[in-house]
Amino acid sequence: MRRTWRAVLEAGLGDARTRILGVFLIVVAVVGTVLMRSYANIETVFAASLLAGSLLGRWWTILVPLTALAVLQPLEWSTTYAGYGLNAMTGITFFVVSGYAFVGFLGRRIRPRVLFRVKSVALLATISVPVTIAYDLWTAFGEWYFITRPFGVGIVTILEAQVPFTLYHLLSSLIFVPLFGSIFLWLHAYGWPARAPAAPSKSPDRE
Amino acid sequence: MALRLSERRQAIVFAAVLIAAIAGLYGTTQLLQPAPVQASIVHLVQLEVVGYGWSIQYGPLTTDNNTAFGLLLEASAKLAFPVAYVWYQIPQGVFVTAINGSVNGEGRYWLYQVDGVYPNIAADHRALHDDDVVRWSFSTAQDGM
Repeated sequence: MRRTWRAVLEAGLGDARTRILGVFLIVVAVVGTVLMRSYANIETVFAASLLAGSLLGRWWTILVPLTALAVLQPLEWSTTYAGYGLNAMTGITFFVVSGYAFVGFLGRRIRPRVLFRVKSVALLATISVPVTIAYDLWTAFGEWYFITRPFGVGIVTILEAQVPFTLYHLLSSLIFVPLFGSIFLWLHAYGWPARAPAAPSKSPDRE
Repeated sequence: MALRLSERRQAIVFAAVLIAAIAGLYGTTQLLQPAPVQASIVHLVQLEVVGYGWSIQYGPLTTDNNTAFGLLLEASAKLAFPVAYVWYQIPQGVFVTAINGSVNGEGRYWLYQVDGVYPNIAADHRALHDDDVVRWSFSTAQDGM
């Protein structure tokens, strides 16, 4: 029984290199976002979630966004947005968490093509643009439903107000996805010794 | 015959496209930033802060805090009531989270009006003119906008 659990854990978390990169991505997501708190929508959770899905796969697809948000969301709700009602907090958190989980799963869909190549970084950067817009539309809808709708504000007004924030979010994605994408692709290909030697530039060992 | 670029050339092309995209986006965001308010002296502006079961009035003869937020901070300093806010660098602007101990949430939020109109910019970017009336109210959903 114990062995079964161990096997399940190993299959889910991957080898030592994958685990180190997974934890590293969580640290990048949390620290980067905390450091840039005064810059609206400039954050690293998006890039970390996309890379977790596309680079590491396995449980990391969901573990990276969930763990990062488990730290960041309570921090946000207890500082910047302290005092908001439970209904608003739960609702907005649902939209944020499901949005980043979607980003992770979408990253996972493109994972077979991800190699340490310029093409891979370009693919990740390109994909980050529509995914960022989709994420912002999703969370703007949540914000409208739980916070501004009761004030009689229409969804169109919220979407108009969202435009500059989405531009900042796109800026954030276009900076951090290629930046961390290059670093993590390199680390995954060459950075740490894997259990079984992997040839550089080949698809890294995954589930 | 398809043109096949070396990895190095691909990297250069990608970097160039990426930098152009980032620069273009950054330029657009800068164009969308609200214009800063030029400091000037305004006369007979009035401030009313309406909380849940309390209110504060403040009306200086003249002030050089000529924004809706500046006037609130001036009243906060003169009448000794706390104001909590978050300042965002981009997009530039303040977000008032609490006045005199009343914190945003549970269906009530701090909103401001100038001469009965809800401006669509942050309070530190809303310039005041002579005789303007600024009202900060701890509004509920029922109050509408």
